[in-house]
Amino acid sequence: MESILFKAALALYLVSAVGFVASLLTRRVFLARLSTWCYGFTFVLHTSFILWRWTASGYSPVVNLFEALSFVAWGLTGTYLIFQLVTKTRVLGAFVSPLALVLFIAASAGITGAGETDASVKNYWVAVHAVFSLTGNALFALACCAALMYLVQDRLIRKRKIHDLYRVLPSLGDLDRINHISVIWGFSLLTVGIVAGSLWARVVWGSHLLWDAKQIATLGSWILCALLVHQRVAIGWKGKRAAYLSIGAFAVLFFSFLGVHLFFPTIHRF
Amino acid sequence: MNIILLGMNHRSAPLELRERLTIACGDHARTVAEVKTIPPVKESLYLATCNRVEVLAAVDNPDSAMDRLRWFVFSHGNLSVAEMEACLYRYRNEEAVRHLFRVACSLDSMVIGEPQILGQVKDAYRHSVENKATGVMLNRLLHHAFHVAKRVRTETGISANAVSVGYTAVALSKKIVGDLTDKSVLLVGAGEMAELAAKHLVKQGVERITVVNRTVEKARELAAVFQGEAAGFEDLPRCLARADIIITSTGSPGYIIDRDMLTSALRRRRNRLIFLVDIAVPRDIDPRAGDLDNVFLYNIDDLQSVVDENIKTRLEEVQKAEGIIDEELEKFMKWRATLEVVPTIVELKDKAESIVRHELLRSEGWLSRLDEEDRKKVEALINAVVNKILHKPVTGLKDVSENGGGEAYVAAARRLFGLEEEEDR
Repeated sequence: MESILFKAALALYLVSAVGFVASLLTRRVFLARLSTWCYGFTFVLHTSFILWRWTASGYSPVVNLFEALSFVAWGLTGTYLIFQLVTKTRVLGAFVSPLALVLFIAASAGITGAGETDASVKNYWVAVHAVFSLTGNALFALACCAALMYLVQDRLIRKRKIHDLYRVLPSLGDLDRINHISVIWGFSLLTVGIVAGSLWARVVWGSHLLWDAKQIATLGSWILCALLVHQRVAIGWKGKRAAYLSIGAFAVLFFSFLGVHLFFPTIHRF
Repeated sequence: MNIILLGMNHRSAPLELRERLTIACGDHARTVAEVKTIPPVKESLYLATCNRVEVLAAVDNPDSAMDRLRWFVFSHGNLSVAEMEACLYRYRNEEAVRHLFRVACSLDSMVIGEPQILGQVKDAYRHSVENKATGVMLNRLLHHAFHVAKRVRTETGISANAVSVGYTAVALSKKIVGDLTDKSVLLVGAGEMAELAAKHLVKQGVERITVVNRTVEKARELAAVFQGEAAGFEDLPRCLARADIIITSTGSPGYIIDRDMLTSALRRRRNRLIFLVDIAVPRDIDPRAGDLDNVFLYNIDDLQSVVDENIKTRLEEVQKAEGIIDEELEKFMKWRATLEVVPTIVELKDKAESIVRHELLRSEGWLSRLDEEDRKKVEALINAVVNKILHKPVTGLKDVSENGGGEAYVAAARRLFGLEEEEDR
């Protein structure tokens, strides 16, 4: 059942991503509408997959890298769908769904079958830590997509290139709003995730901060995100500058999520 | 039944003539009723817009119908024969259908791709239906025309882009500041162009309009039109900070809004996006202001170049639209051809049946000497022979009519089976 749900979700991720990209290329609203429904159904399947795993294993659904990747794809999809309901910017789907698909494919490399776990991760703090941090990551990924689209659209309008791509991209106002909301929520969730992680570290290892490579990278990116939120909320940064900064923040965040493993030893499984 | 169309449009006739004809014809109901009284006309539709006056009709005898309709135009339009001949276009069947499709798809409009014409055709059709002036042919034709128009609109980019400066400004506003309903607009200068652009924006639901002008009285006048606010030049910095869309059109020789003013306005509005449209010549806004982040500045030439580009793309899309029309035209003509054949087949069968009945009646004398069962056998035999003989001609007619050119066969069949005499009788 678990693997059936997973495979079905994977297939639908593929279908929706292809549909969204095709709708962008052919400029058919009908295709985009269909893809949105398909994507919504994908989300339902993915949610049931995660719940199924959770109830079957009895502990946190995110304890290894593959589950984390799958979870980020899930969070990204969910937040995109919420934005879609509120702002009607289907074209964002053409940027978000391929990203979710790639994450999910990466997850498929090792997600099925029960992984070995030790006692330290069978704790609710771990679940809170992982779920919040990863959703925060997903929101920053969404902010990054919106920022990229913003920069493209800004350039097109400034260069007086009022053609095909200009027409399909959403308005600058909407893109900036999506970026703003994602950054603020992403930052809040990330903060909760980090706090939960450090509390758990205190319980298990006796210290909040272990000078682990991942912790340092995450703190660094958290500071960058905090700067971004500060500039946006307090200084009133908007548009291009905020877009560049949020792309930078996501890049650093993404590095501390995936890249740290490759270069440094860390106590994090992911 | 034949389809004919005659009329004049913005290309074939000057406004004055079209005007005269439209006024003389009066409203839809009257014209449709009058056209209906012309004998060969079975169904009719009258389309009058600012760019065209046309009558579409389904008729029995196209030559006489055309003559009579020309006479109708001639007498109503108060035209000389020479004028009429020069201005009036006349189409039959395939050409008439093609013309109607092109009109409904807005390919025949002054501004190609404009959306109003389809609504006008729909209105004209509704009037005809209300006056019971439509039948099988026009009902089918008009619905087909609506279908073609929809296909052209969705499958080509013919009406995708704005082709006037005003609409281009509105479209750009939407792409920059987003949804316009909660946005405010500032007009600097109370000129006609600014008023026009503001009207477009109001139609899109902007929340507030402020007018700033050197003479406040004039600003008040214009503001009153949109129930907006008015202010003098001294208030400009304050107004700049509040506006999302700014349209300038003063006659001032120098710049009225410079980079510094906008920088401080941005600071006051916490960098929310500003879209500036400078339609004044000489320009009102320092072009360097357009380099600021979160400020987008378009002048009249920029807008015009967007319009030119859009018109170019529309013209490219026309080819695609013509292709769709060709395709749909073929479908419609195919349907029309079968329509012609069906009544012929019915008549043919009726005729055969009446001959059988007639002959049976004539032989009543000796038939009555047979017993009931034998009598039935004889009748069945006769019917079987007749049906066998008719089978080939009937299926043959159906086949040729589906492959086009059915009309010639229908005519031949009518002649050979003597159906024409019956019509004359």
